[in-house]
Amino acid sequence: MVFNPIGGSNVTHSTEKLRISKETPRIYWPIRHGIIEDWDLMEKFMEQVIFKYLRAEPEDHFLMMSFLHHSLFFDVICLPQTDPPLNTTENREYLDEIMFETFNIPGLYIAVQNTSCSGIGSFLDVQAGGERTLTGIANDSGDGVTHAIPAEDYVIGSCIKHIPVAGRDITYFIQQLLRERGSTKPPFELERYCYICPDIVKEFTKYDMDPGKRIKMYKGINAISKNEFHIDIGYERFLGPEIFFLPEFANPDFIQPISDVVDEIIQTCSIDVRRPLHKNIVLSGGSTMFRDFGRHLQRDLKRVVDSRLQLSEELSGGRIK
Amino acid sequence: MILLEINNRIIEETLTLKFESASNGNKPEAVEVTFADFDGVLYHISNPNGDKTKVLVSISLKFYKELQEHGADELLKRIYGNLLVPAEDGYNVSLLFDLEAIPANREDVVHQAGMLKRNCFASVFEKYFAFQEEGREGEQRAVVHYRDDETMYVEAKKDRVTVVFSTVFKDDDDVIIGKVFMQEFKEGRRASHTAPQVLFSHREPPLELKDTDAAVGDNIGYITFVLFPRHTNANTRENTINLIHTFRDYLHYHIKCSKAYIHTRMRAKTSDFLKVLNRARPDAEKKEMKTISGKTFTR
Repeated sequence: MVFNPIGGSNVTHSTEKLRISKETPRIYWPIRHGIIEDWDLMEKFMEQVIFKYLRAEPEDHFLMMSFLHHSLFFDVICLPQTDPPLNTTENREYLDEIMFETFNIPGLYIAVQNTSCSGIGSFLDVQAGGERTLTGIANDSGDGVTHAIPAEDYVIGSCIKHIPVAGRDITYFIQQLLRERGSTKPPFELERYCYICPDIVKEFTKYDMDPGKRIKMYKGINAISKNEFHIDIGYERFLGPEIFFLPEFANPDFIQPISDVVDEIIQTCSIDVRRPLHKNIVLSGGSTMFRDFGRHLQRDLKRVVDSRLQLSEELSGGRIK
Repeated sequence: MILLEINNRIIEETLTLKFESASNGNKPEAVEVTFADFDGVLYHISNPNGDKTKVLVSISLKFYKELQEHGADELLKRIYGNLLVPAEDGYNVSLLFDLEAIPANREDVVHQAGMLKRNCFASVFEKYFAFQEEGREGEQRAVVHYRDDETMYVEAKKDRVTVVFSTVFKDDDDVIIGKVFMQEFKEGRRASHTAPQVLFSHREPPLELKDTDAAVGDNIGYITFVLFPRHTNANTRENTINLIHTFRDYLHYHIKCSKAYIHTRMRAKTSDFLKVLNRARPDAEKKEMKTISGKTFTR
């Protein structure tokens, strides 16, 4: 989890922190793909969040639970990543129950289909040129699931798409690669070593030519024997995050890269909102923080759109440019 | 987590990060965060005048005036020394950290910065602990309205210091759970001889406060701690102050955890019952039936 107050008043909680390990080293994941499955652990997690990290008395503060991250207001607590767009009403009611009965919250607002916090938060933050609009696409990618949500003042609910590739998948994928190469203890926290590259083939050659500079070493400490162990991370550094753009590496069922998904969303929205949507694509969530993620997405999206425009130009015999 | 943390993680993490990046020679980044702590306390970490090499940490407590009466300023000066600077506008205390002159004992410094709220409170306790040591009785009671409708009273006698907390239970269920919880506290001396004496009074203030205008109500509780010299002497003083200044938050935190625990057991029991129900099958009814030719049989 990154509780990162630096660089603005944003508070980022990712579902990573929900790994609550107990004495027998088993790890429990209360939230799977954004949906809460284990309520006992969820309640315990909320206790920790409210009393240990936020250090707030819940009886004093109204609570807003929504999707993307936002700042801590004085009398409102915003809790992110707790209500994905495709959550059932029953789940939301259950969440209400816990908040009111256990924590005595005076008032609660669950941003259904992230009408408030999500769009407003991310769009307001990323407005260059002083102009503030609430139209754009929010790409939120955390640990469990990725969502792309278009909004035009209000969220265009019918066009929300979810992509089953997210931080956890990247971690598993990299661990699998490392395991196949023969390392015995697959590590966590690999995001520090990963980045997005412009061209996979060229990266491979770069690595082959100069391994000393590219291959990084991961130092970990075995929890039980307390010995240090080293793992070399090479190709995984750029292959990992690449699964956003080539999901067939990690998930055989899903082969649409994220740029295609974003493009599809824009095409399904009404025609007058497409240009503003293209103008304002916002990335949020921990898994979008890889270096050059934005550039790669922009480049791929541009390619798709350019080829479509070129096709229409050809078909119309040069009349539509 | 049985005890709430006394230090503020955000301050510690922010400062540690800043110190580390400065000592690694990275260019300092701007920092601007406002965040809250228990009891309506607000913190503000920023760069004064836009100077990225300095980090200003400010705290604002609504009841700081009352703490000042009991020597908060002197205590803070003693602990933080040069780091203490005139308070920022709208805040009560400010500490200035220079990233270009990081002190040698940086971890201690960061730790003390995280304890800023605790140190603000500490002055009241230290003053009254000192009274008790010197045997001065009859000093005026300290009254700190640390929350809107909740107060803390500290009084020193010759052989003990009494600390009384008044607390409001917003929910009726909380009152009951609170009573049960305090019952255990009262009997804490069974568990350990060194535990202080604890008294709990629901609705009415205890005898010590009978001449004050202390509030009376159905969901108000008063908790009295009687601290003996073994708790207030120089060796154990720090620990006592650490534990006692967050007592009210600790109590309410545990009430909520108890409720969560009850829910856990309810869920477990419900799923057990569901399993039993799913195993049940209605008995096959024995019906008498007749065929066309007139024979009867039972199925």
